[in-house]
Amino acid sequence: MAAPGIGVFPQTMTSDATHKVTVANRGGRELAVAEGENIADACEAAGIAVPIACRYGGCITCAGRLVSGSVRQPKGTALNKRQSQDGYILMCVAQPKEDCVVEVGVETHTNLYRNPFLGPLK
Amino acid sequence: MSKECCGPGYASPKEAMQADREKLLHTVALYVGTGVEKPDYLATVDVDPDSPTYSSVVARTEMPQVGDELHHSGWNACSSCHDDASKSRQYLLMPGVRTSNINVIDTSDDTNPKLHKVISGDEIKAKTNLSAPHTVHCLGADIIISMLGDADGNAPGGFLHINEDFDIVGRWENDITGMNYNYDFWYQPRHNMMVSSEWAAPNTFMPGFDLEDVGAGKYGQSIHFWDFEGKKIVKSIDMGADGMIPLEVRGLHDPESNEGMFAATLSSNVFRWWKTDDGDFEIEKVIDIPTIDVEGFPVPMPSLITDILISMDDKYLYFANWLHGDLRQYDITDRANPKMTGQVWLGGMLGKAPEVNGVKVQGAPQMIQLSLDGKRLYVTTSLFSSWDNQFYPGMKDQGGQMYMVDCDTEKGGMSINPDFVVDFGKEPNGPSRCHEMRYPGGDVTSDIWM
Repeated sequence: MAAPGIGVFPQTMTSDATHKVTVANRGGRELAVAEGENIADACEAAGIAVPIACRYGGCITCAGRLVSGSVRQPKGTALNKRQSQDGYILMCVAQPKEDCVVEVGVETHTNLYRNPFLGPLK
Repeated sequence: MSKECCGPGYASPKEAMQADREKLLHTVALYVGTGVEKPDYLATVDVDPDSPTYSSVVARTEMPQVGDELHHSGWNACSSCHDDASKSRQYLLMPGVRTSNINVIDTSDDTNPKLHKVISGDEIKAKTNLSAPHTVHCLGADIIISMLGDADGNAPGGFLHINEDFDIVGRWENDITGMNYNYDFWYQPRHNMMVSSEWAAPNTFMPGFDLEDVGAGKYGQSIHFWDFEGKKIVKSIDMGADGMIPLEVRGLHDPESNEGMFAATLSSNVFRWWKTDDGDFEIEKVIDIPTIDVEGFPVPMPSLITDILISMDDKYLYFANWLHGDLRQYDITDRANPKMTGQVWLGGMLGKAPEVNGVKVQGAPQMIQLSLDGKRLYVTTSLFSSWDNQFYPGMKDQGGQMYMVDCDTEKGGMSINPDFVVDFGKEPNGPSRCHEMRYPGGDVTSDIWM
């Protein structure tokens, strides 16, 4: 007898599973992003220009904000703890674990950097 | 530039100083971190005061991909090949620090440079486990490039060796024991020596500058002396707090010389280096720029010496204080006791010169390039996209600038030329940031004599 509920347990999900990623600051465009796909690739495929450089999570060029939802990112990305706590993710390696809302582009970088000689970012 | 008898460049520094005045200048121009999602490009600037397009960008050569972060560049050949008539200074290698791609630009028509080849970053990573290319120097027929990280962006990186056809030969060095990080290098072939410096791992410096990383030892503070033929480090000196983040390394141009200078950027000190008569290597601090307590700033502000160079006649040292906002000229005739002879202000965080030649300065003096005759110092204001956005966030919307400083080579002294400014905030595709500069005929940070 076949095991019941195949496909409903997370561990049996295939790479075909997709989640809705809403790009809030690009007209609220909704993308269907596969579990194993990164958000930057999905944006580019949909014709949404996003900043991109190293494509392995080693630099910070593609950083954007995760407004809601959750993503899978490799450890050791270029983001430091403060940047992660402030909701930044790296679009070139971030893959959705559920439906997400994100903001992309340099206009989201206002709180990404701080001048260390000016003290902690308010 | 080459004569029939000879290869590229000049027979000697003295001959280089007699060369025709530069008429064009190539600089990298970046869209990384600006919000303009277009490739970085090579901008060719008219620096001929008799030309109707003087002080403007006359050619733009786009890289084939977005996101390189063009930074430094280097020629396929320089005066080190002057006695080889088969060589010419034709190709400018333009590495992308973020993509690790090395774009090779053909400048045969120097008013219309064209892409010749891309050495793919993926191929470099796969074959050498290196990434983040930085300084390019030619060594006769070969080219070596300092690489700041391994394929995953971790320290210490190493050196990439490519041949004159721009094919990857492999890793250049035999032994990097003692090297914690990598950055710039200079070589003096007649003394079988090379000197290299340390920035940080790409994974540390790419996301921006964090004082916590300094405290955690993630930035360099050592300088390395190499057996050039043996391709191995023979002495490393840990400079401690005095030598934090040593970046550009320059040698005196006299090929008989075995000394030079470098700056420790964060500590904001200039060091002299030399090889002793018994073959040892020494350094000493010769300039110390004090930090400044600025009201409202909880941490004393270092000057941040981000670029340094030596005039072709080895008489003057120039450097840029990227946070304080000044450019300085020192007479280094007495190598151990440099004397300040000139200073100008451009932008900077102290607010001493927010607007120059009718343009609001974004950033501060950063990359510098001196004419071969030593009379004109060109300066750009961008350091590195993520660091620019951290210290001078206005640059991402307003672009960087290029200025020219007239230098008195007799009595010393500097003044900002009032007729020259290139505002990269006005570029046709949107504001970009400008960084390192090269002249078609060679310059004081390219040419080394064998």
